[in-house]
Amino acid sequence: MPREAEISLNEREFIQQALRDHIRLDGRPFDTFRALELTFGNEYGVADVQLGNTRVVARISAEVTAPFPDRKFDGIFSISTEFSPMASPSFEVGRPSDAEVILSRILEKAIRRSGALDTESLCIIAGLKCFSLHADLHVIDHDGGLIDASCIAVIAALQHFRRPDVAVEGESATIFSIREREPIPLSILHHPICVTFSLYESGEIMLVDANLAEEQVREGEVVITMNKHGEVCQVAKYGGASVDALVILNCINVALEKVKGITKFIQSKLEEDAKKRDAGGLMAELSAENAR
Amino acid sequence: MAPQALLSHLHRADGSATYSEKGYTIIGSVNGPVEVQRRDELPEEAAIDVNVRPAAGIGSPNERHLETLIQATLRHVILVQNFPRTLIQVTLQVRSLPEEQSTGNGSAILKSSLMLLPHLLNTALLALLSASIPLSTTLTSTVVMILSSGKLLCSPSSADLVRAQSIQSVHVFAFSAQKSLLLAESQGEFDIDEWDEACELAEDICCKETGVAVDEMDVDGKPENLEGFLRDVVREKVEKEQMWKTAP
Repeated sequence: MPREAEISLNEREFIQQALRDHIRLDGRPFDTFRALELTFGNEYGVADVQLGNTRVVARISAEVTAPFPDRKFDGIFSISTEFSPMASPSFEVGRPSDAEVILSRILEKAIRRSGALDTESLCIIAGLKCFSLHADLHVIDHDGGLIDASCIAVIAALQHFRRPDVAVEGESATIFSIREREPIPLSILHHPICVTFSLYESGEIMLVDANLAEEQVREGEVVITMNKHGEVCQVAKYGGASVDALVILNCINVALEKVKGITKFIQSKLEEDAKKRDAGGLMAELSAENAR
Repeated sequence: MAPQALLSHLHRADGSATYSEKGYTIIGSVNGPVEVQRRDELPEEAAIDVNVRPAAGIGSPNERHLETLIQATLRHVILVQNFPRTLIQVTLQVRSLPEEQSTGNGSAILKSSLMLLPHLLNTALLALLSASIPLSTTLTSTVVMILSSGKLLCSPSSADLVRAQSIQSVHVFAFSAQKSLLLAESQGEFDIDEWDEACELAEDICCKETGVAVDEMDVDGKPENLEGFLRDVVREKVEKEQMWKTAP
């Protein structure tokens, strides 16, 4: 596979000089995201996120399996990220690059370990049957900001997904297909969103949502995951530049604003989609969901 | 429903296409000719690397089998001799499947990977066109089903499949622009006469002579067959590319 084309010294110097003059290549202010676009597929649980030129598709699928013997009351939830040559010719199939490992690790921490999904609600019969949810992440186009886009895609897809309804009678469980019974939304406890800050000039300049060229020039990055209530789920820092504690606190404040905006955006898109599906206004009657 | 295609929409890949037909949506991308790894290098022709990625989960032997079939077909379509010691990378990502296939209901034959093959081939060709890789011919592909009643179903939609009781065999055909058979894959029980019949029907759908001039077909709105569809897509692409010439 060809190596990722490294940014030339001239380009690097140009971007850095421009940043010192408080100008970004695409003219955005330092703390703005690129245009965010979110579309849902015809099926439940498919979210297509476009962040500038970056495009990520997340797909949630569910199957019934036996739970892990040491976690009898929990369902299974896993996230898989695999880059394909579609995003960039330098991505090789079956050999994860550093970026891929970091992405999957951060998503693992941000979504799975922060307890965003209530896995206990995926249990059907304790110790015997549970739902196994799987999130597949496909990177279609890569122009930086993969972590942020992927996190938005997975969270949106989880909110959009509906699992089949089940009826339990003693030791036997019946799984109803979509045609038989209206499927049920997942119980999601909170919606963590990642915001990546790129550091330049040994931490003096901070960019939100860097594109690929800016990512190649940066000295370090800070990934902050939090929900709209201001609860920080994880903070990760990569790269050489050192970061002051106060700068991190500042990052968290900026991230909170972004997270609130993005959560609201996802919610509005979900409502739009629900309205489109609810053509005859019969959805409320079909649903077997109880008010919590 | 007529198939739909969107060309060159990914900014990173050399060529890309999204093709959707009857509930299948496939995103294809082509990078090439690029540097090839030593072990894959061929001294007299370009190596073709096909990568099929399923909608959910990681690749299984099913996908590997499809990759082999597509690779063997594309090798005869792409002018590989023009680019010795290079690599042409074709990535095909399944974006969505019709309901029956994604939920896993339906008979075993429906779940077979053959149903996916013609869509993958069509997508691959569109992506190659978008990447402007020199080709010796174009290619169109379709699937024909033979029901146990002896009836033939051509590229059935999911509604057709629900209605059809039992399927005896599935056949996938690919034809070049010169109407020569490029690929024939079959599954199920059938005899040679049935196969001939299926092949003829597929040829009709892929590359039937419409007998009308290309301009007149525009009036109908929908192209009659896959060859016509392909021509429309290419005409649109060329028109877009030549816009700078024709603009006032």
